Amino acid sequence: MLRLPSLARSNWQALAKEYGFHFHTMYGETYWDESAYYQFSLQQIEEHIEQPSAEIHQMCLHVVNEALKSEETLQKLAIPELAWQAMADSWNEKHPSLYSRLDFSYDGKHPAKLLENNADTPTSLYETGFWQWLWLEDKVKAGHISRNADQFNSVQEKLIRTFKDISQFYQCRFMHFACAKDSLEDRGTVQYLQDCASEAGLDTYFTFMEDIGVDALEQLSDKNDNLIEHCFKLYPWEFMLREPFAKQTISSRVGWLEPMWKSVLSNKGLLPLLWQSFENHPNLLPAFFESDFAKYAHQSSHSSWVKKPLYSREGANIDIFDINTQQKNASSEGPYGEEGFVYQANHPLPRFGDNYTLIGSWLIGDEPAGISVREDKNLITQDMSRYLPHIIL
Amino acid sequence: MSNSSNKSSNQKRSKNINLNAMRKVNPLKPIALGAATFMLGACGTDDVASIYIDADDCSSDNPSFSAECQATYEAALQDAQDTGPKYETQADCEYDFGANACQQQNTSQGSFFMPLMAGYMLGNLMSGSRRYTPMYTSNSRNSPLRNRWFTSNGQNVGKYSTSGNQKYRVRQSFFNKRPTTTSALKRGGFGNIARATSSRTAASKGWGG
Repeated sequence: MLRLPSLARSNWQALAKEYGFHFHTMYGETYWDESAYYQFSLQQIEEHIEQPSAEIHQMCLHVVNEALKSEETLQKLAIPELAWQAMADSWNEKHPSLYSRLDFSYDGKHPAKLLENNADTPTSLYETGFWQWLWLEDKVKAGHISRNADQFNSVQEKLIRTFKDISQFYQCRFMHFACAKDSLEDRGTVQYLQDCASEAGLDTYFTFMEDIGVDALEQLSDKNDNLIEHCFKLYPWEFMLREPFAKQTISSRVGWLEPMWKSVLSNKGLLPLLWQSFENHPNLLPAFFESDFAKYAHQSSHSSWVKKPLYSREGANIDIFDINTQQKNASSEGPYGEEGFVYQANHPLPRFGDNYTLIGSWLIGDEPAGISVREDKNLITQDMSRYLPHIIL
Repeated sequence: MSNSSNKSSNQKRSKNINLNAMRKVNPLKPIALGAATFMLGACGTDDVASIYIDADDCSSDNPSFSAECQATYEAALQDAQDTGPKYETQADCEYDFGANACQQQNTSQGSFFMPLMAGYMLGNLMSGSRRYTPMYTSNSRNSPLRNRWFTSNGQNVGKYSTSGNQKYRVRQSFFNKRPTTTSALKRGGFGNIARATSSRTAASKGWGG
């Protein structure tokens, strides 16, 4: 695993415009960064990332199955009780999942450690599935990168195939796609998924979450009063289950992507649940619910811990602290934390130059499909961290 | 180490990506719209279609297909009930469609005021498959679609005319079944937490993670 400086394509911004990649620069800061790339060996990709990702995904499914049978666990996860039955139904009826992103701390040598599972609304999908793929094609064509170079990235191919499987499962010809207003990045990600769904033969209908309505039969409909029967939403379940239309969301028979059972996995409570079931797995870090932390923390060899809210996004509200000195080493601000916290042993991100590097490993359907590499000058990777492409050589 | 050929079967990246489908602007191909040519949709093959006001109109244009004309007309009427615009009141419906253009109908979604189907578009009957979709028009001065032919979801197809001789070139996907419609009584039940949370976060870009 190497970080190599690289010449940016001279026309990349024109290309971005041509392909509708509008969020490569945000708030005046670089997000897409092709001034360098990461190089992995095939063994690093296959043995250290792909295989563990497949295994962790299966472990996560095991956790879902157990959690849905335990009221105590669902309470610990702060999942609203009114959703429990519908969640169990979505699991028992095997409602398919489209995607997840497992975030790893990985330095190229030691086992990758799972930091969290973005199982409900992961983003940086377009950058991964399409944009870094195009970057490699261009760089190889220009002779800047060896023709033998490959990339761990069958994301787009697998998205299209999974959309075909999902339309088969639900026997549907069209699907709604939704996200909240005022985010170019979210709208771009949803458009990418619409493009993939179209390639899979589905007609797509877009609506903003805010425009969704409810009719006399308590059914959900879009801005144009089209009934919503199957819907991809880039909007967190923990919000939907606490907002005014929660009741209709639960009672309606909408086929959702991601399915409701994913609420168990996008919850940081997944981390202690995984540790309970698979203690000492090489790709897991010790993790505990708030209620158990005091009991276990002192038996552990770890002194540095990370405190994460059950629900949080983009690295918000995270503290890294030392249990002996009670000193905070790093901390991020944010609006989350009302529902409680989990504690995970600190496993710092590897440094390459001045950068801390985070690997996102994508699952499409149930299969590992590719990685994204994010870099940040800070120890806690947040939403403004830069995206860098990668190759296998 | 990776295989020497980019097209190798154990390649770990997508083999083919349809770049044309991914392109959002294409400066090389200006789209020319002919008077009676209406193109829609990004993929699929073309169909030469006609609009008829009813089954008899269709049969007189296609004498040897009168059974197909009748069957597709009835299917389009059913489609119109599922996918046509639905209103809570007659006044709301007439505002968009004009006087005497609406009637009350009992649908699977409940009872609504709906515009009458003004005709139906039919794909080439010679091809053997039955492609149809309900068509509407409006005589309301409030409507931007006044005296136009348009679909249940408001896609403008061309000038309203009752002559079946007008041909339209459309993508076959144009005839795909559209979503069932309803009439929302309230909106805005999603988005509150996102709004409240983003106002407290300095650099939040979205709700993905």
